[in-house]
Amino acid sequence: MGKRDGGGRLGAEDGTPVVAFEDVSKIYSSGEGWRTVLKGVWLEVMPGRTVSVVGRSGSGKTTLLNLAAGIDTATRGRVSVDGQDLAGLSDRARTLLRRNTIGMVFQFFHLLSHLSVQENVVLPELIAGGDPQQFKQRAENLLQRVGLDDRSRDNIQKLSGGEMQRVAICRALLRSPRLILADEPTGNLDDDTSQSVMQLMLQLVEEEGSSLIYVTHSRTLADLADESYTIHSGILDAGSPRQDAKGAKL
Amino acid sequence: MRCRSFAPRRQDAKKRGSGLRVFASWREISVFLLLTVGLLGTEQWRQAQQGYSWSFPQDHWVHPDYRIEWWYFTGHLRANGQERPRFGYQFTFYRVGLLSQAPPFDSDWSTRSLIMGHAAVTDLESGEHRFSELLYRTVPMLGGFDSTSGPRIAWSRAPTGTDGIWELHWNGEAFDFNARDDRQGLAFDLATTPRKPLIFQGPDGYSQKGRGADSSSFYYSFTRLDTRGTLSWDGQFYAVEGQSWMDHEFSSSVLAENQVGWDWFSLQLEDGREIMLYQLRDRSGAADFGRGTIVSAQGETAFIDLTDWTVQPQRHWDSPASGGRYPVQWTLRIPSHNLRLQVVALLDDQENRSRLLPNLDYWEGPVQVTDAQGSPLGRGFVEMTGYGKNSRPPI
Amino acid sequence: MIRYLIHTAWAHFRQGPILYLLTVFGVALGVASVMGIQIINRSAVGAFRGSIQAISSNADLSVLGKSGPLPETVLPTVLADPGVESAWPVYRLDAQVSADPPFYLEVYGLDLSAPQLRPWSAESAPGQEDAYDLSDALSKPGWIAVSKRLAERMGWEKGSTFQVSQGTRQAELEVGAMVDFERFSPQSSSKLAVMDIAQAQGLLGRRGRVHQVDVRVFTQGRRGAEGGEPREEAGKEVAQRLEDALGPAVEVLSGKEREDQARDLLGAFRLNLTALSLISLFVGLFLIYSSTQASLVRRRQEFGLLRSLGATRRQLLTVILAEAAWLGVLGVALGLPVGYWVASSNLEVVSSTVTNIYLLSEIESLQFPPWLLALAASIGLGGAVLGAWLPALDMSRQDPKDLLVAYTLHERIAHSALGMAALAVLILAGAGGWYVWLGRGWQPSGFVLGVALLAALPLLSPMLVRLSCGRLPLRGFGWGYSLRALGLDLQKTASAVAALSVAVSMLVGITLMIGSFRKTVEVWMEATIQADIYITTPSWRGRRSEASISPDLVESLRSHPTVKAVDRLRSRQTVSGSNRISIAGVDLHLSGKEERFKLLAGDPKEALQAARQGAALISEPLARRSGLGLGDQLEVTVPTGQVELPIAAVYYDYGSERGAALVDWSTYADLFGPGPPSNLALYLRPGLEAEQVVEQLQEEFAATPLFFRSNRNLRQAALQIFDQTFAVVRLLQGMSLLIAACAITLTLLILARERISELALYRALGAARRQILGIYLGKGLGMAVLGLALGWLGGLALAALLIFVINRAYFGWTVQVYWPWSTLAQETAGILLAAVLAAIYPALRASRTPATELNRDEM
Repeated sequence: MGKRDGGGRLGAEDGTPVVAFEDVSKIYSSGEGWRTVLKGVWLEVMPGRTVSVVGRSGSGKTTLLNLAAGIDTATRGRVSVDGQDLAGLSDRARTLLRRNTIGMVFQFFHLLSHLSVQENVVLPELIAGGDPQQFKQRAENLLQRVGLDDRSRDNIQKLSGGEMQRVAICRALLRSPRLILADEPTGNLDDDTSQSVMQLMLQLVEEEGSSLIYVTHSRTLADLADESYTIHSGILDAGSPRQDAKGAKL
Repeated sequence: MRCRSFAPRRQDAKKRGSGLRVFASWREISVFLLLTVGLLGTEQWRQAQQGYSWSFPQDHWVHPDYRIEWWYFTGHLRANGQERPRFGYQFTFYRVGLLSQAPPFDSDWSTRSLIMGHAAVTDLESGEHRFSELLYRTVPMLGGFDSTSGPRIAWSRAPTGTDGIWELHWNGEAFDFNARDDRQGLAFDLATTPRKPLIFQGPDGYSQKGRGADSSSFYYSFTRLDTRGTLSWDGQFYAVEGQSWMDHEFSSSVLAENQVGWDWFSLQLEDGREIMLYQLRDRSGAADFGRGTIVSAQGETAFIDLTDWTVQPQRHWDSPASGGRYPVQWTLRIPSHNLRLQVVALLDDQENRSRLLPNLDYWEGPVQVTDAQGSPLGRGFVEMTGYGKNSRPPI
Repeated sequence: MIRYLIHTAWAHFRQGPILYLLTVFGVALGVASVMGIQIINRSAVGAFRGSIQAISSNADLSVLGKSGPLPETVLPTVLADPGVESAWPVYRLDAQVSADPPFYLEVYGLDLSAPQLRPWSAESAPGQEDAYDLSDALSKPGWIAVSKRLAERMGWEKGSTFQVSQGTRQAELEVGAMVDFERFSPQSSSKLAVMDIAQAQGLLGRRGRVHQVDVRVFTQGRRGAEGGEPREEAGKEVAQRLEDALGPAVEVLSGKEREDQARDLLGAFRLNLTALSLISLFVGLFLIYSSTQASLVRRRQEFGLLRSLGATRRQLLTVILAEAAWLGVLGVALGLPVGYWVASSNLEVVSSTVTNIYLLSEIESLQFPPWLLALAASIGLGGAVLGAWLPALDMSRQDPKDLLVAYTLHERIAHSALGMAALAVLILAGAGGWYVWLGRGWQPSGFVLGVALLAALPLLSPMLVRLSCGRLPLRGFGWGYSLRALGLDLQKTASAVAALSVAVSMLVGITLMIGSFRKTVEVWMEATIQADIYITTPSWRGRRSEASISPDLVESLRSHPTVKAVDRLRSRQTVSGSNRISIAGVDLHLSGKEERFKLLAGDPKEALQAARQGAALISEPLARRSGLGLGDQLEVTVPTGQVELPIAAVYYDYGSERGAALVDWSTYADLFGPGPPSNLALYLRPGLEAEQVVEQLQEEFAATPLFFRSNRNLRQAALQIFDQTFAVVRLLQGMSLLIAACAITLTLLILARERISELALYRALGAARRQILGIYLGKGLGMAVLGLALGWLGGLALAALLIFVINRAYFGWTVQVYWPWSTLAQETAGILLAAVLAAIYPALRASRTPATELNRDEM
């Protein structure tokens, strides 16, 4: 992998992070009392960078991603995407933002079993109201790059776990989003598949010029990113600042 | 006298029935209602008064201006040439006036009266007494009282369940009549001829029943009628002959307040005389008022009253059905005529219990007259009313 | 487990009150409809029974004329029978009371002098209101005893007078007594009135006739001995002997037999009502099923937890069913008073149908036997448990792991869609085959076919959904997308489509049938009702022949300057073979309009000529019922016995489903004796307006109780009655809408619940709320369209069944098929609209699904 050149294809201004967390806290009120899931998180992801966040379940990593996607809103602090404060946006605006700017990959894949492989990939475009015919080409292209173009008509249920995640990655990248958010993308895969899927995702993300934030509990996989953080009880640590990571620990 | 009139009855405390079938009580009410016509209504009836001018045979027929009327026949009949009487019988037609004027409706049911018939036969051999009754509105198809233009005086359909009719005719000298009741198993068809001419029971037929001015009726009798005809009992036919007594009475009067019933005797003595006497009883059972007639062998009448006789019951019979305690043996003394008679009922239970008009129970049956030693002096009939516990007090 | 239920009940309720309320409502609907209809059904004959009880309760038998009133002379014949204990006559007439609004008095003319005729006086004592003066009753013209209830309502007291009419005869009646008939016979009509028979005959009726002789049978042995046969046996013997003695024109019936006859008359009517209640029951069951399904789905995870904590399948099933039973109890408690209310609020309409069409007494009070309560309660409870059964079973059978997971698994039913479709085809083929070879002659066979049809429809719906939704290409996140998704949740969407299709098919079928029927009747009336003005008297209720128009009035009408010709009509009920028919005598003449007169068989000119020589024309229902046709002989029971008339034609007659025959006026007089007409038809001189002449005649004849109606007016009135009788369609329409709405709402709610993670995914992928709203609206609309399509097919088949099979079997009418397009279009549009509206709420809820739902378990 190596360094990113930042900006690049997506033509973002240099210096404006794709997503920025400024002293963000998220507090949930549940039955009796409050629960602080995120405490004073500061994070900046520059265009073209890959960031990993390591943490165990319950540490707030998912919430972090939800905030970045605009799915959830911060209780305190400021979350901004492309410089735009999400708090000021209506649900609809956030939705549109998400539609155009963000792609998501989930631990449990969340593919639709009644759609074929290709239809699953094209789904975001359907939702965006574009012409699926046009994006069929792009979908095929992406599938080819993950090696599944010959399966594009198959029903999802015939695929293995790794294959499904690869389809999900294509879906996430379909509309060339600036930011990919991946929540435990390899959590449901075995070690070998994890490795190859992770590699593939990083490669594609780089080729597309998008940024990536991925959450994982594997140190090994975390090290593949440009930057790595740990999160623990809602507090984000810089972990060990890594400039260069390719399986080597410093 | 044959008093068969209908008057207000005491209210019975337990009149309420329960549930839907309250046979007894509503019948009581309805009977009451039926029979209080004369009181509640504004009907105008003629009262029996002195000075009535009789014309016969027309007066044998119906007198519609008066409220109540009856033709009463009783007698002893010998069957199949036997010596001693086998049967005692009673035959009565009553007319009960409901309205003094005929109602103006275009309908056969637009009538003024009811016709009621009672017939009873006592089989002296088996000791059984049977009673039959009918009650109809005088609708042309059910019964009626004819005009003097024909020999028939009255007729009615036989009681329900029997095909046939009951009739009463004037045969020129006396009466012919017939009755039948298949359910009771009795029927008779009798013709009478008078042994003696008719007599009036009271001056000019005016018969007093009480002290009030309106307690009276018109009353005459044929005290000795030769009778012959047929009688059937349980399907067995008998040729019968014997002697009868006939009463015809009509009035519009009511019983006095204190009178609860009466005892009536009609006796035919072997010496050719007849005796008729009646006494009305009050609540205590004592005789309140009475009249009588003694008819000589030649047909002369002598009128007597309560002061002229004593009647002493010797033996009683209790009716299980009505609760009445009837005397069934009497000693009758009429000193002014040198009469000391023992009157003995030939059968104890000769109670007529009506089903059509419940609580109408009265005792009517053949009696024998003997002297103190028991030698037969004659025959007769006795009628007693108002003895039952709930019996309607007659007029 | 039960304790758990109790503890959590309130919490569950608060989470989703609507679903619970829907279940309760479903139960209440079923209970209310069954209760309401059964009350009406029982009450329909109740008033008739009440009158019998009030007047004839002491009687064991009633002697009645088959072809009209009896001559009085039957009374002595009856009295002469050895089995009779007592017998008394009854003269019956309906007198119209001039009040506002006018009403009929059921007058019984009795022999008031006879004691046994007043069973209702049981509880009274003299001095009370019911005591009365007998001599007044017998002699005062117009004396009548009315019911206390009526007197109170009319403000009458003893001595109050009022006017009545019977035909054109009028009389003034005076209240002589007020009798509490109701205390004695609670169901008797308040319009019951009693007068002396002489007055009844003389004032308003005819002398020499009676309608009924009531008989009490002798049961004791001879001479008053106890024992003897039981009453019923004795009654049968006496009835037989009397019928033999009195001839074929007489029938002798016990009270129960009379009631059974009345019930028979109402047979078709009650069948309709019961069918209606069953439809409601179906709706109720469906509601229960769906709402239970919806609420269970919501609690999937709770159940998963319970199971993983060790609760057995049976315990889970018990908990769910216990909950359903409890809701059932609530529903019963709600449904019982509602059912009563349904009955009482529809009482008037049903009563007028019963009196106008079936000539029985008005229904005034409702019968509410305790067993009905028990029935309704068990239906409610049973329904609740039954409706919840399948969902409960389904839930309890699943593994805890599956329950715990938020998203659904592959549907089982997809496999069986084909099997069910095959079963449906089998059922249809089987029923059809059975009908063609075996069942054709059996009267209820049409219903068997109907049931088969309605059973096949739901079985076809999964296949239909699957086929329609399977292969649609995806063009966007819209209609096509939502339809495609329908095919996924087959079990749920198919059941909604099934319910909807059944409801729609019933609606379409019945609408079509009624529409055709109505048009047929309209066309028929146009051809048949040819005179300008029709005249009758208000007290003529269709078939009571007593209400007649006096000959002088007929003459004055005939000689009226506006009138060209007058046709007379008289009619009565009689018996022909085993059928009770009505027979009418009419002035039949060639009017020159014969071509418009449509006959089923026979030529109009020839038929009329034959009729004037003594032949009869019979109505279509009679022809079908009896199997008689042109050239056969019609047997008619007349007072003197039986007569046979040649049949000259068969005519269409939609006036009644009972048979009818038509003869010439003179023939009628030969059969039943001369008499006055009960109806007149006027033909006006050319150039005159019927409406104007009606007004003129009404003014001129204002003193008489004649009732004038123009041709157009009569037709309108007839159609009005028709519409009233078929008011059921509106009810059906309402129910279909209800089912449509509920089906769709609930199904969509369930789907939204089960597919929650999918919805979250769309949101995560950037779908706006509006888009998800649109998807769900689309699903709702899709289900509606499929349901409508299937329902239309079913409806067409059902209409054919109703018109050509069931109608023929039960009523015998020929119904031409007409398409009430606007009504059908309205109904269809209504259902679609309801579907859209019904989809709004679930769609809104679905659209509100936050994307965070995706990671709920991961949090």
